[in-house]
Amino acid sequence: MSARGRTIAAVALRHGATAAWRSGLGLRPRAERRRAVARALRLACEALGPSFIKLGQLASVRPDLVSPETVFELERLQDRVPAVPVDAIREVIRRELGAAPERVFASFDPEPIATASIAQVHGATLAAPYRGVNGRLLAAGARVAVKVVRPGVARLIAEDLTLARRWAERAERIGWLARWRPNALLREFESSLARELDLRVEGRVGDRFAFDFADDALVMVPAVVWTHTTRSVLTSEFVDGWLLSELGDAERAGIDARALATHGAEVFMRQVLVHGRYHADLHPANLIVTRDGRIGYVDFGIAGRTTPPQRRAIAQVLVATAYGDADRALRASRALGLEVPEAVEPALRSGVARLMRAHLARSPADVRGFVTGFLGLLAEHRIAIPEGYGMLVKALVTVEGVARAIDPDIDLLEAAKPFTTRLVADQLLRPERLRERLPAALRAALAELVA
Amino acid sequence: MHHDAALVYTMRDVLRFLAAWALVHESADEGWRAAVARGEGLAPGDLERGPDAFVDGLAALVDAEKERLKRELAGDGAGSAASAGGPDRRDADLTTALEALRFDLAELRGRIESLQASVDALHGERDA
Repeated sequence: MSARGRTIAAVALRHGATAAWRSGLGLRPRAERRRAVARALRLACEALGPSFIKLGQLASVRPDLVSPETVFELERLQDRVPAVPVDAIREVIRRELGAAPERVFASFDPEPIATASIAQVHGATLAAPYRGVNGRLLAAGARVAVKVVRPGVARLIAEDLTLARRWAERAERIGWLARWRPNALLREFESSLARELDLRVEGRVGDRFAFDFADDALVMVPAVVWTHTTRSVLTSEFVDGWLLSELGDAERAGIDARALATHGAEVFMRQVLVHGRYHADLHPANLIVTRDGRIGYVDFGIAGRTTPPQRRAIAQVLVATAYGDADRALRASRALGLEVPEAVEPALRSGVARLMRAHLARSPADVRGFVTGFLGLLAEHRIAIPEGYGMLVKALVTVEGVARAIDPDIDLLEAAKPFTTRLVADQLLRPERLRERLPAALRAALAELVA
Repeated sequence: MHHDAALVYTMRDVLRFLAAWALVHESADEGWRAAVARGEGLAPGDLERGPDAFVDGLAALVDAEKERLKRELAGDGAGSAASAGGPDRRDADLTTALEALRFDLAELRGRIESLQASVDALHGERDA
């Protein structure tokens, strides 16, 4: 076994033993056991460095792969790593852009603005004006954020993945582990990681997001400076403002944070239900309230997609959820790939109805409580959660959490109403549907007129 | 005299007919407005409650479209014409398609700029 393999095994063993101890050697209640395992998993990821932190972050938006307890525990992953010395960052920029940062930019800050497991961000100013993809002109001297992939991180991740591939092969041959499809899972993680390591992908997703919301004066997406962007360097407009943790300052400066939170919830619903592309990692660090009172969206590393049929099905699920109609919600969920065996359907339906009464039949609705319970129900009945479904519900819960931290009265289902109404109405007014319904409707209209 | 009386009767008949016509319209108009008001009060999912709810919902949607058409005819300019679904729908569709194409082109320009930056960097490294 390689040295890295021994390190991973040692960390896994140590945290595995702690989890076993905390779960009373498997004798404690199931929920408690799961929480102990989830905590051990988070601590192990933090101890093992970039690739595992990234794996943990990717898993934290995928309740279709890991238990709800693990999802919410991995949300707390601390992506705090020491900064890379600026000379190493300079070297990456020189290699990627052909000159030292002091020559590429008018100025370059040696102190990083942010450091994370995969990349580090430095402030700089543009030496020449640049027009972004969405037509906005950044003047010479404009402040930009330069995100640089940490040197050596790609090699370290590749090494870890080589080891993981070997372990996945072995796991595939072990019955109870094979159920988790380790090879397929690993391939998925590999492609997610590859996308994360190529910063051009993030830049393109951001540009597309800006295009989708070009008509929304309250949405701000930093323009990408493509002449200064490559696989390992992403240069984009600097978003100046307050983090969500500094909202007190924003409000003192006259920003209506509650109105922005409501708008943010609507923007998310529009992403999912209208454009079919959504920012799937909207935790507080990726949202900034700008000095002129807009919502700045950053870090488009994890994004989700919805197809038109999925959007219609999501609208139906949301409408059914808003009306506490468990049967209809489950029927619409089938269109999203949720396969419910006939034998468990009645139990699942009554479980969902119970959750709806407990979490949604109040104002504001508690989407997180409902989703957590629902995912638990699916796990209990061993029903696989489709990939897109998992990512979407997690994003929904994150958005609710962020919005609620600002305004506890925000109701996500209310924010969805204008879009679901339009989608459901469009569906009902399809020619074939109208042909089917018009005779009865006309008879009713005539009856009304005669009366 | 007889001729004048006949004329009066004819006029009354015409007036009566027009009054009946106006009354029918007034009643229909009130019925329509009531249906629109009921339709506007519907929530998502209510359209499937039955034929009456469906007609009310349809009335509300038609009324919203009518208002947009009115604004467009009043000459609000290209912006409202683009957002309306009336006679200028084709223009609006073309504008949308043009914007999407312009974005694709700009995105392509971005990709080329990025690739050029990488090529320049490799050239620089080779020359050094």
